Amino acid sequence: MLIYSLKRIAQLVVTVLGVVTLVFFTMRMIPGDPISAMAGDNLSGEALDAMRKQMGLNEPVFFQYLHYLQNLATLHFGTTVTTKLPVVGLIAGALPITISIAVGTIVLTALIAVPLGTLAAYMSYKGRKTLDNVITGIAMVLDLMPSFWTSLVLLLIFSLVLHWFPASGMVSLSDPGQLLHRVALPIIVLSMAQIATLARITRTSVLEVLSEDYVRTARSLGWSELRVLFRHALKNAALPIVTVLGLSFGNLLNGTVIVEFIFTLPGIGNLLVAGMNSRDYGLVQTMILFYALIFVLINFATDLVYRLVDPRVKI
Amino acid sequence: MSLSRRSVLKGGAALLGSSLVAPKAFAAAEKTLVIRFYDDPAGFDPATIFRIENENIAFNIFSGLTTYDSKTGQIVPDLAESWETPDNVTWTFHLRKGVQFQKNYGEFTSADVVYSLNRVMDEKTASPYRSELSGVDSITTPDPYTVVIKLKAANGGFLHTVANYHEGQMLKKEAVEAAGDQWRWQPVGTGPYYLDSIDVNSRIVLKRHEGYYKGPAPISTLDFHIIKDDATAAIALRNGEVDLVMRESNEEQLKTLKDAGFKMNHVDNYATSLKVFNLTDPILKDVRVRQAIAYAIDYDAISQAISPSLQAASYSMLMPWMEGVYSDKAPKYKYDPDKAKQLLTEAGYPNGFELKALNTSAQGVTEAMQLEINYLAAVGITETMELVDTPTYNKRRNDGDFMSAGRLLPAVNPDLILFSYYHPDNIAPKGLNGARYNNPELTTTLEAARAEKDPAKRAELYAKVQDIAMTDLPYMPTTVSNVYWPGKQNVTGVNINYLAQVNFWEVDIT
Repeated sequence: MLIYSLKRIAQLVVTVLGVVTLVFFTMRMIPGDPISAMAGDNLSGEALDAMRKQMGLNEPVFFQYLHYLQNLATLHFGTTVTTKLPVVGLIAGALPITISIAVGTIVLTALIAVPLGTLAAYMSYKGRKTLDNVITGIAMVLDLMPSFWTSLVLLLIFSLVLHWFPASGMVSLSDPGQLLHRVALPIIVLSMAQIATLARITRTSVLEVLSEDYVRTARSLGWSELRVLFRHALKNAALPIVTVLGLSFGNLLNGTVIVEFIFTLPGIGNLLVAGMNSRDYGLVQTMILFYALIFVLINFATDLVYRLVDPRVKI
Repeated sequence: MSLSRRSVLKGGAALLGSSLVAPKAFAAAEKTLVIRFYDDPAGFDPATIFRIENENIAFNIFSGLTTYDSKTGQIVPDLAESWETPDNVTWTFHLRKGVQFQKNYGEFTSADVVYSLNRVMDEKTASPYRSELSGVDSITTPDPYTVVIKLKAANGGFLHTVANYHEGQMLKKEAVEAAGDQWRWQPVGTGPYYLDSIDVNSRIVLKRHEGYYKGPAPISTLDFHIIKDDATAAIALRNGEVDLVMRESNEEQLKTLKDAGFKMNHVDNYATSLKVFNLTDPILKDVRVRQAIAYAIDYDAISQAISPSLQAASYSMLMPWMEGVYSDKAPKYKYDPDKAKQLLTEAGYPNGFELKALNTSAQGVTEAMQLEINYLAAVGITETMELVDTPTYNKRRNDGDFMSAGRLLPAVNPDLILFSYYHPDNIAPKGLNGARYNNPELTTTLEAARAEKDPAKRAELYAKVQDIAMTDLPYMPTTVSNVYWPGKQNVTGVNINYLAQVNFWEVDIT
């Protein structure tokens, strides 16, 4: 376990250094820079060059890179290029919102998709294909609806007509009730897209397990169908489900852009898109660095969960 | 001032607490207006500010020597009570006495004018607006309430340069130095509102400057909530979550809000959009080709079909409200496909050619673009859209790396528009003359107009400039845009000026 952890940490350092270098140079390869991004319509080329000079953007790229690495080594993440705000502060402010949405989505998705997928598998196993088709069909339809569209429809229904949820307003991190109130609709929208995938994975996985010997043995012992299904079949089918959930958590961290935009939530997706659009090198570099860290950690966590779920897995 | 969300929350709580214990006499005057703000704020330092929504905040925090009348767009006194010039070269401004800076920074005097203008002119500030003051030769202060600005050459439009906009906004040295590199987030001016707190992710709170020289504004707190999506903003207004929507740019939502009985505050003809023709292009360098393109597209029909509230066809570079400069006599290109075909044949392109149009990919291929392509196809021109993201678009546009591209003319100073776009000194990449247009006759007329003292003669010269410009057509006006700020019926005084800004001192809740 110790060697494994050390290995993972070494891997992490190499990954991060690679990512940082890659991002640094690709950001500078795409046309436009922070200055041309904010140029708009009424700034002349002469004015823009003066600003570039002041921000050190006219120095050779390699020097800028060395300077960046030097800052990184001393844990100085710097400020945004155009607004001079500390990057770490911006990320720290946005992160809790996106994490709340992502965790909420994972929980809601799992609560709906796992029983649904298991049920579909059971129905299919019992030869009652109609119900299986209906469940799979509904999941597919949910998956196909674009999230910007479902977001607006839900806003119209639940915010404008029913007044259950606000369309805008402050997000208070110190008040969980208020936070939940603001992120409930986004969680529903994102879950709708995730449920289909997870239900399908669950169905396939459970269906496979249902024809295994130990399920037949469990049945022959006279245990109830529910116990057989959830205790024995589902538990053994859990590995792919955990994998998918782990992956979708990672994806959700940047997949929340559209809902954050429509529901006016200042989360991480919003920040990254704004950073890209304004070519804010400092912001984008730090955010990608942070993503790389998170992904590596999630992979690590998923592996640990594997072991908990299935002791046969060795790490 | 810290920018964390937590501190803003604390501030909000403190604010709530203080309003609860406020004496009853003041209770009636404590009004709060909640306004939609449509993008992330980028700071409010006049020297480096950009984007209209940030400029609107600065417009209410700062003052200039002059400012723009909200309704007519004309220059009116602000911190300067009066001014005189014998020759458009030496300008003497008489400052208002007793004007107070916010946050106890003391009285505004001529020293602050010198500091503010010098700061923009200082190379170290790296202000994109530095060139606006390049014509200044010297600034002297005979006494604390008089400023004499001497120019290198006569400029009849100089009052625009010292207006409450960018380089013309007046600051206090001590406040700028106290804030250091966070000055853009801690602005101090002499305007009707000061910045109380800001959470860059979600909210900007302005408070009434009690010592404002025209008297305190009717509303005590302006609470700007960032709502980026236009549809969400409309729902927030209908839900009562906001009182006023800064810039609703969705035609469908405007219709819904109008039908729902909201007040549709708007300003028309705020700015014109252009097609910039690259005159170094072998095809576009022929004036007949440029005129043919102008005759071929019916922007009136396009505007009516797509967004009748938000835009209309444009036939001139300058707007009719730009009094003393705008001329109605310049050639206009009304839709005439036969004329277009005839001009193309004369130019040697009877079967048309391929016109590449550089555009931003922000909204994909819009309906307006599709209609434009169809109109051009009808006269044989194949228009190909090159869609790139905004930073790339801006870079290529500045580098002159395009055949045709778009521009919006937001400046309120008509003389500056003409100089920036038609004068050879401003040819891209240095300046905004992206067409690389150079007509000596226009240049000399324009320079003469700027120096001319007699308003009637000046108007005549400007008219000639517009005549030449619209005949040569390096820039083709396409549409003018209108700006909408829908709000509740009880929100009054929302007069959007020609910079698309609102002076909140005039706004009240009844």
